[in-house]
Amino acid sequence: MPLRGATCGFCGLLCDDLEIEVEGAALRPVRGACARSEAALAALGAVVDPVPRIAGQPASLDSALTAAAETLRCARRPVIGGLDVDVAGMRSALALAQRIGAVVDHAGGSIKYRNLHALQEFGAITTTFAEARNRADLVLLAGDGWWRRFPRFVERILAPTGAERRIVTLTALDPATRMTLPKQAEVLALDAPLVGLPAVCTMLHALVADRPVQATRLTGVSQPALQRCAEWLRAAKYGVIVWSAADFDWAHAELTVQAIAQLVRTLNATTRFAALPLAGNDADLTANAVQTWQAGVPLPASYANRSVDFDPKRYAWRDVLARGEADLLLWVSSLSAAAPPPVPGIPCVALTRADVGVGAAAHVQIPVATPGIDAAGHLLRSDKVITLRLPRLRESGLPAVSTVLDALLARLALTRC
Amino acid sequence: MLTRLAGARIVDPAHGAQEEVRDLYVRDGRIVDRPRDGERIDRTWDAAGTIAMAGAIDLHTHIGGGKVNIARGLLPELGRQHSLSATDVCGACTIGPAPSTLATGYRYAAMGYTACFEPAMQPVNARQAHMEMGDTPIVDKGAYAMLGNDDFLLRLLADGADRAVIRDYVAWTLHSTQAIGIKVVNAGGISAFKFNQRSLDVDEAHVHYGITPRTILRELARAVHDLGVPHPLHVHSSNLGVPGNVDSTLATIDAAEGLPIHLTHLQFHSYGTEGDRRFSSAAARIAEKVNASPNVSVDVGQIMFGQTVTASGDSMLQYRNARHGRPAKWVVMDIECDAGCGVVPFRYRDRDFVNALQWAIGLELFLLIRDPWRVFLTTDHPNGGPFTSYPHLIKLLMDGSFRKDVLARINPEAAAMTALGSLEREYSLQEIAIMTRAAPARILGLEDHGHLGAGAAANIVIYEPHPDPEVMFATPRWVFKDGELVAERGEVKAVPQGAIHTVKPDFDRGIERRLKTWFEQHHTQSLASFKIDDEEVCECGRAPRLAVHACRARSS
Repeated sequence: MPLRGATCGFCGLLCDDLEIEVEGAALRPVRGACARSEAALAALGAVVDPVPRIAGQPASLDSALTAAAETLRCARRPVIGGLDVDVAGMRSALALAQRIGAVVDHAGGSIKYRNLHALQEFGAITTTFAEARNRADLVLLAGDGWWRRFPRFVERILAPTGAERRIVTLTALDPATRMTLPKQAEVLALDAPLVGLPAVCTMLHALVADRPVQATRLTGVSQPALQRCAEWLRAAKYGVIVWSAADFDWAHAELTVQAIAQLVRTLNATTRFAALPLAGNDADLTANAVQTWQAGVPLPASYANRSVDFDPKRYAWRDVLARGEADLLLWVSSLSAAAPPPVPGIPCVALTRADVGVGAAAHVQIPVATPGIDAAGHLLRSDKVITLRLPRLRESGLPAVSTVLDALLARLALTRC
Repeated sequence: MLTRLAGARIVDPAHGAQEEVRDLYVRDGRIVDRPRDGERIDRTWDAAGTIAMAGAIDLHTHIGGGKVNIARGLLPELGRQHSLSATDVCGACTIGPAPSTLATGYRYAAMGYTACFEPAMQPVNARQAHMEMGDTPIVDKGAYAMLGNDDFLLRLLADGADRAVIRDYVAWTLHSTQAIGIKVVNAGGISAFKFNQRSLDVDEAHVHYGITPRTILRELARAVHDLGVPHPLHVHSSNLGVPGNVDSTLATIDAAEGLPIHLTHLQFHSYGTEGDRRFSSAAARIAEKVNASPNVSVDVGQIMFGQTVTASGDSMLQYRNARHGRPAKWVVMDIECDAGCGVVPFRYRDRDFVNALQWAIGLELFLLIRDPWRVFLTTDHPNGGPFTSYPHLIKLLMDGSFRKDVLARINPEAAAMTALGSLEREYSLQEIAIMTRAAPARILGLEDHGHLGAGAAANIVIYEPHPDPEVMFATPRWVFKDGELVAERGEVKAVPQGAIHTVKPDFDRGIERRLKTWFEQHHTQSLASFKIDDEEVCECGRAPRLAVHACRARSS
């Protein structure tokens, strides 16, 4: 049975050290797969011969494309959503958006925008995985779910030796993840409640700036523990603070990110310190990067009226659909197991991962290749600098997202509604 | 397919200073001497009364790679102010100081540019750089890979590695990242900043590796030279923007020990400390040194008044200068044991003493450096100003009375501290053609670009003479790319994809054994993941072809 080296696209870490046995459609991870990756490989490996569907009935790719093009052709206010796709897929999605004047947003756009919003208000001092791996002598961890979304972060970035690290858990860490922290690391547990995180960052900021604070009332963390943490911060040669914005599920989460950014900026007056937000799941960074370079502005954006406009208040896809402003949803998905959201009253054309069923929710469904499984593809890693090529693992015959979208665009070019 | 461009005055300094009116012939995207016997001319363009030049080449413009994309994300308000509507051939996009890649390709082409070179491609970010350049249509592209702050090279130098090893590593980097040259940014300084060193002079030791920028500069210049890479080591000197940095700039020239080097955005490195404000022009000293050093070429990095955003690999100096930025938001990054970057918006104001003097210093350099083959027209886009300001800059160089008019409006203290008012030189059309076409092609080793001789790519720009050079250069009548009309009077007519230009010097692949171990011990991707092969770069870069330029290895 052939053993293949693989790069995994199922989270923003893009681990490129996987080994997977491939037999027919089946994918058996031998090395490097985390729980998240294993689940995706098992689901994809179990799919037998997925076919396009029109109104729930099996159809040829050609007739599905024709039906999809017909639906798209008459749309006046289309939304393109999902967009957990590779660079080529996003390039094609934007070409189509230009043609049909669509609103474009990533499925997780509002989460991605938490970090971007803080950037646009304040800026950032950030670092990348290899810097953290080799230099970080202090790592602050924040959040209550990043270990599920980025399962190998500790193993790949924090565990390798090189730097002797201190680790602070700003909020409580799950016990299993705690077990994987480097054995020799000195750990300080602040374990504040997650909602107290902005206050903890602000308090630490005040402490390192030598301002008087009364900590416990706001954060639930004891004053000595906060003081100790501030001492560690001051003593660090290269500190890193890690979070995943998906954990900050509250109003104005960007202010929490900004509190982190302010703490980081203040620390850099005397030492080196950097933020390391974990992101990139479902290719959100990929979609945003391609949009940003091609259009000059990020997601969410509208291509209506032959011009491009960025406005997170107007073009967040859920809001556009909820306000009834769309007359078509083109859902473009290739990495995520999530089905397109049901939107009553408007047609839906869905490109989906092979194992995703949509039932009657989509007028047309076209199963597409998953990057790194059925087709080669490029994705941006969590730290926004590295783009990796995910080689193809198996011959499934599934068309790449870009192939399908380019075919749709070609059909639209032939006639107008 | 044979095309004739009839009756233009040919300004083609690569083939001598003589200007003549003659017809140009283009067959299948290339310039030819004349039709074959009996060959039919398929189309004639009447260019009587116009001026023909080769397509312009920008050898230093930040068009690809994460830095400008960070700037776009940081400053959406600038993009929203400058929206470009879609046309039959162009997509909707925005063109602010950090323009979209689409707008970059459209506007460069409409201005008569047919090749652009990204000067700061970080090896770990090379794929994205090629992707962004791939979405920059029409123009040909290439990039210089950044070395000199990567831990691998610094460790080699600290360990006193053999020159052959360094040479192999440099060549391997060119191959693996699909680059056409090597750039060093603040040699050692970006790395030193990661160890909390806040400044690094040319002869100061890196706090961790113990080596000096001088050593890094000398060894990289040597390696690039010995490999026979046509473009000399592209050098962003130490102490960018720091008053008094003239000394480290002069020391940087000396560090090359006579080997070819190209000093980039020299304006930002030509500052003295005279006067009440402890900030003065050192352009005269720098120009004197450049004039006396035939191994040195430069580009200016002129600043232009208005809002822009600076995007540099120089995290150390961008962090230091961030407090001067407007609007007050900025990004600094440490990058992957490889490099760094800093993105800081700037609003250059003619009433501001420092900005006004920076403006004058750039122009002094243009006018005091005598040889137009060794000084190139750049704004270090977007750092000194967006590339769309080039026609205005050309006017400042060609029209002395216009220059004096502007000088009279800038901050008077700055005006009093510049020799600009006494410099009467006006650039000729020939000199503009040299510095924007012939010379960049020569210094990059692009044999078939930058001239209008037989065999050249048919990148031809037809200008209508106008008393105002800004008008003439802003909207040429026709721009041909590989023989195809791509723009007419500022309007884009066709959107082909350009080639990627690279070099591939010979080297000993044994270096990969050492690199493989290094990647396993320190990196967070494998060596195999890092490398970009020919097929992949053409896919990422949407390039119809890879133009590989010859290297002629030299023994040291």
